[in-house]
Amino acid sequence: MSVILLDEPLVPTPPRWRRFVARLLRNPSVVVGGTILILLILLALFAPWVAPYDPFKVNPVQRLKPPSWLHLMGTDEVGRDLFSRLIFGSRYFLLICIVTASISASIGTLLGLIAGAGSVVTESIIMRLIDVMLAFPYILMVLVIVAILGPSLWTGMISIGIAGIPGYARLVRSAVLTVKREDYVVSARALGASEADILFRTILPNVLSPLIVYLAFSMPLAALVTSSLSFIGLGTQPPAPEWGAMLVNSRTYLFSAWWAVTGPGMALFISIFGLNILGNGLRDVLDPRSAA
Amino acid sequence: MLQYVARRLLLLIPVVIGILLVTFLMKALIPTDAVTAIYSGTLSEKDAAEAIATLRAKYHLDLPWYQQFYIYVRDLMSGDFGESIRLRKPVMDELGYRYVNTIILTLAALAIALVVGLTTGILAAVKRNSWLDVTATTIGLFGISMPAFFFGLLLILVFAVWLRWLPVVPRGTMALLLPAVALGLIEAAPISQVARTSMIDVLGRDYIQAARARGASEFALVVRHALPNALIVVLTLVGLQIGNLLGGAFIIEAIFGWHGIGELAVNAIEWRDFTLTQAIILISAATYLVVNLVADILYAWLDPRVELNS
Amino acid sequence: MLNRRQFSIATALSAGVLAFSSTRQVLAQAPQVARFRLPIDPEGLFNVQSISAVVSGVLGNYLLEGLVYLDADGKAQPWLAQSWQASEDGKEISFKLKDGKTFHDGTPFNAEAVKFHFDTILDPKSASPAKGIVGPLSKVETPDGMTVVFTFAKPFAPFINLLGQSYFGFNSPTAVRLAGDAYPRKPVGTGPFMFDKWVPGASIELIRNPNFKQFRPDATNQGQPYLDRIVLNVLTEDGVVTSALMTEELDAASLTADGVVPFAADDRYNIINDQNAKNLMFMEFNYKKAPFGDLAFREAISHAIDREAVLAAAFGGNGKIALGPLSRGIPGYDDKVAEAYGTPYDPEKAKQLFDAAGWVMKDGIRTKDGMPAKFSIRSYASSTTERALAVIQANLADIGIVVDVGTADWGSFYPGLLKPDWDMALNRWTWSDPSVMSQLFRSPGHRQLLPANPAIDTALDSADTALDPQKRMAFVSDAQKAILEDRRILPLLTDWPITVNRKVLEGYHFDYLGYLYAGDLKIAAA
Repeated sequence: MSVILLDEPLVPTPPRWRRFVARLLRNPSVVVGGTILILLILLALFAPWVAPYDPFKVNPVQRLKPPSWLHLMGTDEVGRDLFSRLIFGSRYFLLICIVTASISASIGTLLGLIAGAGSVVTESIIMRLIDVMLAFPYILMVLVIVAILGPSLWTGMISIGIAGIPGYARLVRSAVLTVKREDYVVSARALGASEADILFRTILPNVLSPLIVYLAFSMPLAALVTSSLSFIGLGTQPPAPEWGAMLVNSRTYLFSAWWAVTGPGMALFISIFGLNILGNGLRDVLDPRSAA
Repeated sequence: MLQYVARRLLLLIPVVIGILLVTFLMKALIPTDAVTAIYSGTLSEKDAAEAIATLRAKYHLDLPWYQQFYIYVRDLMSGDFGESIRLRKPVMDELGYRYVNTIILTLAALAIALVVGLTTGILAAVKRNSWLDVTATTIGLFGISMPAFFFGLLLILVFAVWLRWLPVVPRGTMALLLPAVALGLIEAAPISQVARTSMIDVLGRDYIQAARARGASEFALVVRHALPNALIVVLTLVGLQIGNLLGGAFIIEAIFGWHGIGELAVNAIEWRDFTLTQAIILISAATYLVVNLVADILYAWLDPRVELNS
Repeated sequence: MLNRRQFSIATALSAGVLAFSSTRQVLAQAPQVARFRLPIDPEGLFNVQSISAVVSGVLGNYLLEGLVYLDADGKAQPWLAQSWQASEDGKEISFKLKDGKTFHDGTPFNAEAVKFHFDTILDPKSASPAKGIVGPLSKVETPDGMTVVFTFAKPFAPFINLLGQSYFGFNSPTAVRLAGDAYPRKPVGTGPFMFDKWVPGASIELIRNPNFKQFRPDATNQGQPYLDRIVLNVLTEDGVVTSALMTEELDAASLTADGVVPFAADDRYNIINDQNAKNLMFMEFNYKKAPFGDLAFREAISHAIDREAVLAAAFGGNGKIALGPLSRGIPGYDDKVAEAYGTPYDPEKAKQLFDAAGWVMKDGIRTKDGMPAKFSIRSYASSTTERALAVIQANLADIGIVVDVGTADWGSFYPGLLKPDWDMALNRWTWSDPSVMSQLFRSPGHRQLLPANPAIDTALDSADTALDPQKRMAFVSDAQKAILEDRRILPLLTDWPITVNRKVLEGYHFDYLGYLYAGDLKIAAA
């Protein structure tokens, strides 16, 4: 960090965000992960135009055909075009990531902020609750919640979202505890800012970077857990082209129709890997300690 | 120090009560009980009605929930975790032995995770932003980038079917290797990441720079200065990981036929065998709490600043 | 009665030989060990407490023996029984037992053991799922040590054939009393193999019964079993089983149609399709929910499903489509009735029938009286049902019926059907006797949702009480016709369960009910 400080006065200072973007682009992990993420988003947005076939169109005559010019990635067990299904699958992947992360991050952050900045009593109540949730075996908690709500894509996402709350709460609380003692918070308080103001205007922006890094790691985890739910029979409902469910249902073809397994397997792998490596890169860039 | 330990122990009490309450709440909320799940599908409902009623009475499922809770806690106090409805035997008869298996698998996986995670993490940090960094990070992330069941199947395909190095069917000590590798590689990712970050942090510190300026070898810097520091950070992570490992083991155990509590849990949930599920949750939660306590105490002992902060 | 998942387990119990083929050559006298697959860890090996397919399989294949077995034509033949005789009114059946059978614990098999088994099943305290199967059985008496008399509240035609099931294989009463609650973990029977040890969740090991006497004339080996030891490995995942067969760590296993592909061209393996399979995959309707109580609607929908496509998608074509409500493998299946009253795939006809019934097509979906044809189909989660549902959903969409598909694990799906808020369900049942129709389709039905239908109910009741086989089968035919005419279910297909075995394992074959001739198993000399 000291190195940057020394260098800075010598260079004309570009706007903060531009320096930030430049730093992002210099990081290979961010570039690779970001490219994958952007591609995913583009695929999801333009799926109907990119996909050559209807992803739900069943054609038993064409079942389990290996990749060809007609079907770039072959067909599945009921003759649906795998390439089209994989493209539409990007929508489910992003949906799962976004919904689960929104649930965990919003509730978790709120709890963490309150616990970190609130009174001793509220803190201990919240933290004991978080401790209880953390002590629960993660997958088992998800499974039980799904068993209660009944299996579907949405209940799966809600369960995974709930199970992810304690991680965020813990992270945000410890970040708040650190930030709370910083000068700018102390001075804001001295200037008479309200507690809520301090919490949301001063503290929250400053705990954003660990939060973003954590997001990048927890989203791919949600996609993995969704596939585990399918594995146990509590997952996404057919015929949704959700990669995890597709992989679960095609895994028996590992020895006979490799493309039916490889397609969803690779799609999941690349996307999850992309988000993970993006998280790695973001941590490098956003975490001031390692930004030397 | 003693005070710290005592306080941490006291804090466990509300957590344990909370876990008991939550598991019980789950039981009350799940729409089907094991008796119905097991009997429906084996014969028609009208014929099963009598048998179902008998069993429901036997396992107190016909009582209001608060009475069930009372009986449950009372039995628990006397060390009785109840009887599995599907297996028709005391839960602990089945659980004890499987728990040991899961612990063995978890420790073996942890060892692999530490070796892989630390190696890749350190290499990535030392040769930062080089191709070595990219390779090491990729290896570190490999296991966590695909579903556990698929990763397991691929490992079997490569190491058991193609290379014939390891058996498919669990047999003897070699049986441990494949599931431990699968689970270990999955858990290596966070260790690798934390090790890398903390190494980068330490390597960038002034005293390391100064030592480097004095001509200390890079190897010595890493091993003597940066590594011990990184290990302390990894230690707390490992505490948290144990919980994940127990959880992650569920799918891996089911795939590899490793008879631990995870494989049992998947079955227990499927058959809504809640006595068994509750016991598995309790025993996993207890393990998690104890391991974390130990990790935190170790951490506090290694790094006295922690005690003051928390 | 077994649902699909449980059954796939039953046929699954298969063989294993020496794990290391090379050691076999060196040690010619080495113990003969076979390794088979168990798809799940049995909950306990006691047929009074559990009749799940995995339990019945282990017990019936190796450990227990019954009064009768079913021959290749599905006819009951004496096994531990010497002969039997029904009374005039059909309410009493008496069995004479064969002499000279002993349990693995050395105690003799006799009338007392038979009575003990049925008394335990009838005892309400046992909460035995087998009790429902023997229905009207009221008491069991033993006039002498080798005679057993069964008394029924009303004549019960399926009884003799049911005795071939391993639910009615015999446990040593001494062992049951001695072990108490622990008995399901150490079963004692009269079969060719004896229980040795059980590593819960991992494996069950059986050893040769040195005092075994073969009472079944249809077994190839009339002497002592050849194998010294059988290891049953619990392996849930099909991909792992395929791998284990490839690496010769398993000697035989049940697999799905996709799982056997790697073995098809390999002459070291045999693939057996059970073409006498007794399962039926079908769609059922919730009569209490509109419009499924309406015959015209059920009639129309019955013509809409392309069964061949379902069979191809779900089972790789391994099986046969079904038009009748009884599986082809079950005695009494009437092909003429199925042909005459069945509803072959005919989307044009389905459309006409819907039009005629007032379901008019509008913007791709049919509507009647303001109600859009939008329904749900539920099933249990498995690759086969999900593939079948994909085809069914597409077929129905083609004729303007929009269905939403929902699958869940067994614990959610099956008990969930007891709440009458569903529309249609896809199910698969396996049973060896036509009485399965009474269990499923006689009012009020399996889930208490079926209205009385005299044609169906009378035919089924008559079939269940007619002791004369010929008369009984005539009623069974009537019942099939009446069920089809009511469109009570939409029969889809019967799949052929597949097993793969290594050829070094000889004598690997199954009887009519799908039990293994365990005494015939042998490992070929290298």
